[in-house]
Amino acid sequence: MKTAFAFAAMLTAAPFLAPLAAGQAHAADNSAPLRFVLIPKTVHPWFDKANNGAQAAAAMISQATGRKVEIEYRAPQTADVSSQNDIIERAIATHPDGLILDLLDEKGNRATMDEAVDEKIPMTVFDSLPPEGMDITAVGADFCEQGTMAAERLANLVGKKGEVAIMMGVPTAPNHTLRAECEKKVFAKYPDMKVVATGVDNDSIETAQKQASAIMQAHPDLVGWVECDASGPVGVGQAIRESGKTGKVKEVGLDNLNDMIQLIKEGVAESSASSRPEMQGYWAVVSAWQRAMGQKTPKYIDTGIDLLTSKNL
Amino acid sequence: MSLETTVPAAPSQQPPKLPPLKALVSRLAGNPLRGVIAALVIIFGASCALSPHFLTTFNMVIIARALAFIGLVTIGQSVLMILGELDLSVGAIGGLSGVVGGILMVQLGLNPWLALGLCLLMGGACGLLNGALITQLRLHSLVLTIGMAGVYGGANLVATKGVAITGVPRDITFLGRGLVMGVPVPFLVLLVCLAIVAFVMLRTPVGRYIYAIGSNPDAARMLGIRVNAIRMGAFALAGFLSALAGILMVARLGTAQPSIGDTWVLGPIAAAVIGGVATTGGIGSPIGAVLGAVIIGIIEDIIVLFGISPYWQSVVSGGIVVLAISFDALARRYLNRDAV
Repeated sequence: MKTAFAFAAMLTAAPFLAPLAAGQAHAADNSAPLRFVLIPKTVHPWFDKANNGAQAAAAMISQATGRKVEIEYRAPQTADVSSQNDIIERAIATHPDGLILDLLDEKGNRATMDEAVDEKIPMTVFDSLPPEGMDITAVGADFCEQGTMAAERLANLVGKKGEVAIMMGVPTAPNHTLRAECEKKVFAKYPDMKVVATGVDNDSIETAQKQASAIMQAHPDLVGWVECDASGPVGVGQAIRESGKTGKVKEVGLDNLNDMIQLIKEGVAESSASSRPEMQGYWAVVSAWQRAMGQKTPKYIDTGIDLLTSKNL
Repeated sequence: MSLETTVPAAPSQQPPKLPPLKALVSRLAGNPLRGVIAALVIIFGASCALSPHFLTTFNMVIIARALAFIGLVTIGQSVLMILGELDLSVGAIGGLSGVVGGILMVQLGLNPWLALGLCLLMGGACGLLNGALITQLRLHSLVLTIGMAGVYGGANLVATKGVAITGVPRDITFLGRGLVMGVPVPFLVLLVCLAIVAFVMLRTPVGRYIYAIGSNPDAARMLGIRVNAIRMGAFALAGFLSALAGILMVARLGTAQPSIGDTWVLGPIAAAVIGGVATTGGIGSPIGAVLGAVIIGIIEDIIVLFGISPYWQSVVSGGIVVLAISFDALARRYLNRDAV
């Protein structure tokens, strides 16, 4: 037991005994590789696409400048703010030349981001907005515009009348909630349209499929679906196909996961409002690189939204 | 204190001298706490050697602060496991306490310290309710607490509608973000709680009763120990410590996130097992369990410092955990290899 107490005391004392700092950002050293750490919300195919864009930007900068640029992709296993903060803090401990973050909640991430500011590590955010008062470039698309585009497209497809349903993503994710609110506002404009059900898929294809099947059973007159995350439209599309309602129930999805594109090609989903994850990753790295070089960068880089249909795929 | 009795060998029956490696393994395998300390020293040393970023003040503070939240939940869970019980609703209690704290402080404008106290009481009450249902209805704790996790988690969503409560008063953010002489405040809270619970477990009759109940509840009952009261008390303690972790996390984030506690279910159980707490009850200590949590915390840290792919993270951390908990069995197999 004495050994255990002594060991606990040693652990407590470790912060005092450790050296003050292991390394410093080396952006000023022109020969050393530039190292950026990209931290998304969680492990998800959408963020893999953003990472692909980031790697492409790193390759482009390396080729153009002759200085190697490395992107380290470190994703939290769950979409939880405290888990993401832990990863951000551990990334700060390695003193990278920049952090590229997709924030889960700008207020919950604030204290950790302040630590990065204290350590003089430049940050760029994508697919999210930075905390108020922080001089950080945000790269992304307007979530409300994306939800509005999908809902308007569906309203036109169904003749602005009938029962529709919304599949929410993660109820605690601000971007998912915002898309849902904007979609509801669109449907509220049309007196003959009614939102009869709102499912919650927690960004899981399987959950979305189960929920959508149950909702379509409960509302046989349903004419259309919109969603709020990348997984939802895939699950909803599978439920539409399995219930034999392809063509009868319209779907306008979100984003450009491979399964989503396949559903459009098969005619199960009519279209998808995609937020261009590769472009977000690409421009986030460009912005982070400019920051590391000491350049000022724009407050916001809008990467826009694509409407994917069977004609333009 | 060890509950295992040892009989000193008679002078004429001196055990044969073992080779140095075997003697070391024998010493480590003979005491679960020594084993976990050995594993911790190896992992700590390897991390220092392999990453220049590991042994820095900044990184040590990160590890200590992250450990505090999971460590508090681990203390409560380890006491329950020694008792032969499990509570899978600890994470949900922590999350619910955090958001109720946010509601009381932000939406109802209650004094932050009063709100904090009420939340701790609520966490204890949630744990007590679990214990009461388990003992009075004679339900299995695993099954009951799965259901209660849904109840507490659902109440969290009902209260918040899934949206974080922002604007937590700065008066309490020091509890989550502050440093006292370079040591994170949550880590100090963890040390105080660990010292109190370890003292109760190892130096008081209540602790001995918990070990006795965990070893054999029927025998404990026959000895006159108030088994149900102690069970309910242990569940209340687990709820209280989870609520404390939840409140500290709210203070750390500056917002009351509905997702607080989502990752506090399996980690503390794994930490306790790594730290030598038997899932069957009666064996282990909260100190070992928290040291197990330190091992998990260091593994999570080095995974990020080494830049291991997120797709391999679970494999690596899971593999190290399996290796750590297999140490005892492997050591015994090694020691018995030459035995006839």
